[in-house]
Amino acid sequence: MSDYEVHELMVARVAAEVDDDGVVVMGSFTPLAYAAYMLAKLTHAPDSFLVGFDAVGMQPIQLSFTGAEAAAYKGAVCRWGMLTEVNSIHLSNRGGVEAVSSAQFDGEGAINLSVIGDFDKPKVRLPGGAGAAEVIKMYRKMVAYFGNHNSRTLVDKVGFVTGTRWKVDAEARAAAGLQPGPIVVVTNLGVLVRDDAQPFRVESVHPGVDVETIVENTGFELRVPDSVPETTVPTDEELQLLRNSIDPFGTVKFDFVSGKDRLAYLKGVLDREWKRAEASLQ
Amino acid sequence: MIDKVTRLEDLGSLVSDGDSVALGGGWFANHPMAAVRQLVRNGTQDLRVITVVGSIDIDLLVGAGVVSHLEFSMVTLEAFGLAPNVRRAIEGGLIGFTEYTGLGLLIALEAQGRGVPYLPYRGPFGSDIPAHYPEIYQSVQCPFTGEELTAVRALQPDVTIVHALRCDAEGNAQWDGTSGPDIEMARAARRLIVTCEEIVPRSTIVETAHMTKVPGFYVDAVIEAPFGAHPTSHVPSYAMDAWQIAEYAEAANGEGFAQFVDQLRDESEAEYRSRVLGGDRDRVLRALAEQAVTLEVRP
Repeated sequence: MSDYEVHELMVARVAAEVDDDGVVVMGSFTPLAYAAYMLAKLTHAPDSFLVGFDAVGMQPIQLSFTGAEAAAYKGAVCRWGMLTEVNSIHLSNRGGVEAVSSAQFDGEGAINLSVIGDFDKPKVRLPGGAGAAEVIKMYRKMVAYFGNHNSRTLVDKVGFVTGTRWKVDAEARAAAGLQPGPIVVVTNLGVLVRDDAQPFRVESVHPGVDVETIVENTGFELRVPDSVPETTVPTDEELQLLRNSIDPFGTVKFDFVSGKDRLAYLKGVLDREWKRAEASLQ
Repeated sequence: MIDKVTRLEDLGSLVSDGDSVALGGGWFANHPMAAVRQLVRNGTQDLRVITVVGSIDIDLLVGAGVVSHLEFSMVTLEAFGLAPNVRRAIEGGLIGFTEYTGLGLLIALEAQGRGVPYLPYRGPFGSDIPAHYPEIYQSVQCPFTGEELTAVRALQPDVTIVHALRCDAEGNAQWDGTSGPDIEMARAARRLIVTCEEIVPRSTIVETAHMTKVPGFYVDAVIEAPFGAHPTSHVPSYAMDAWQIAEYAEAANGEGFAQFVDQLRDESEAEYRSRVLGGDRDRVLRALAEQAVTLEVRP
């Protein structure tokens, strides 16, 4: 199958990290992460335990900007609140996989969602990290995804540490009472993995990308094995599920549309969501 | 029986200039927007606003000049971009801010609700945030194991405002979908205001008592506010109004924001509802929630 777009490849690769072990928590509607968890649950990880918004043990859902939250509750077995979720899942070491994105990310697994420039008088005030500061150290696998792999985002050292993996290699994690597990970075160019005291290793390059491009566009040190394989491309089944069942409105692609076209694309998705709901009123 | 029912128009007697006010909801879900609009109409000033994950609620209050200090762990308009008024106000030094870590803020509220001055937890180790706020975050050692933990100081809002599905006159409040940080905020507050979609008889609450998350003894005032979370969602009753949020983002990013605020100021909440939810919009928002699709896992 060659007829895939890069956001679909990224969804499939993030999905591959999801397994039946531990609890996956999603928080607000982040389309690529949601799509990956749904794809995993519909294919290789049917017993993965998902939490989205305050919907605990949710069924997979069809993605939409306006309907994702309501869909999450429809198939859920339990309704909690934010604090119960983080106490019961993250802080008690029951977190399995969690995918994050951020304005900056570095080779130590630190993310910046706070500021560009001075903390008290910033050049750019970013949204803030919500629970990231506490939780990204806690779950077993940290997946970080970036739709635009460049050295302004993947930096040598983040300008401000909102949150961090804190301990990376298995021994240090175990000594600190944390579950051992890797950091997996999935971008539009390739996949980087780190699970020891060494720098990130280039695990794979996406078809058509060479390793040099990844190295040039990464601000932190990389280990490049002699031979770097290509990332597995999505199967026909995965593409069918994504396009027809999970994301028929095209919410995931939104984050891959840049500049001027972005608002028009979003309005197009919202138009289709409105029309389907409106048609149901007849 | 005690009757705590209050009109939205009387919110000004419950929230004074200079108060610290925690606002419930999270993401684009269940923010107490009718109360937020009323604070704008009242011209309330100098509030110290507390939010865990704020969105249009916080950006509107900041843009309308209601806020002098913001305590938050995240404020974002998600797909609609960074929160423009919050950005301008912080980057321009127009308001003060305290950036909490998300669990730190929830646990600070939880501590207050339990009546202890702080709580220890496995905190934001390695984050740069705690060092900026030694008056909130300190390192403590477990007296039993010696483990290093983070102590976060209890936080008591003067007022908390949360939006519930329904409530009776005593203030027994129920949620069905997203309650986010509402319960911790409610328990921590000096004064608690519950807005709700509908005020119901006590018998309705008794029949569905498993849905009551805040019992009436916490509550000072109950305000009926249908579509009171709009344009954020109140699931499973209605979905977020993404079209209204898009209009907001456009106004807040451009020249039209003053006009947007003036329009809110010049209309009552009932007038707001008939302007914004007219046509089919209220029914479409309900249909979006009702018909949201789940997918079957293969047997």
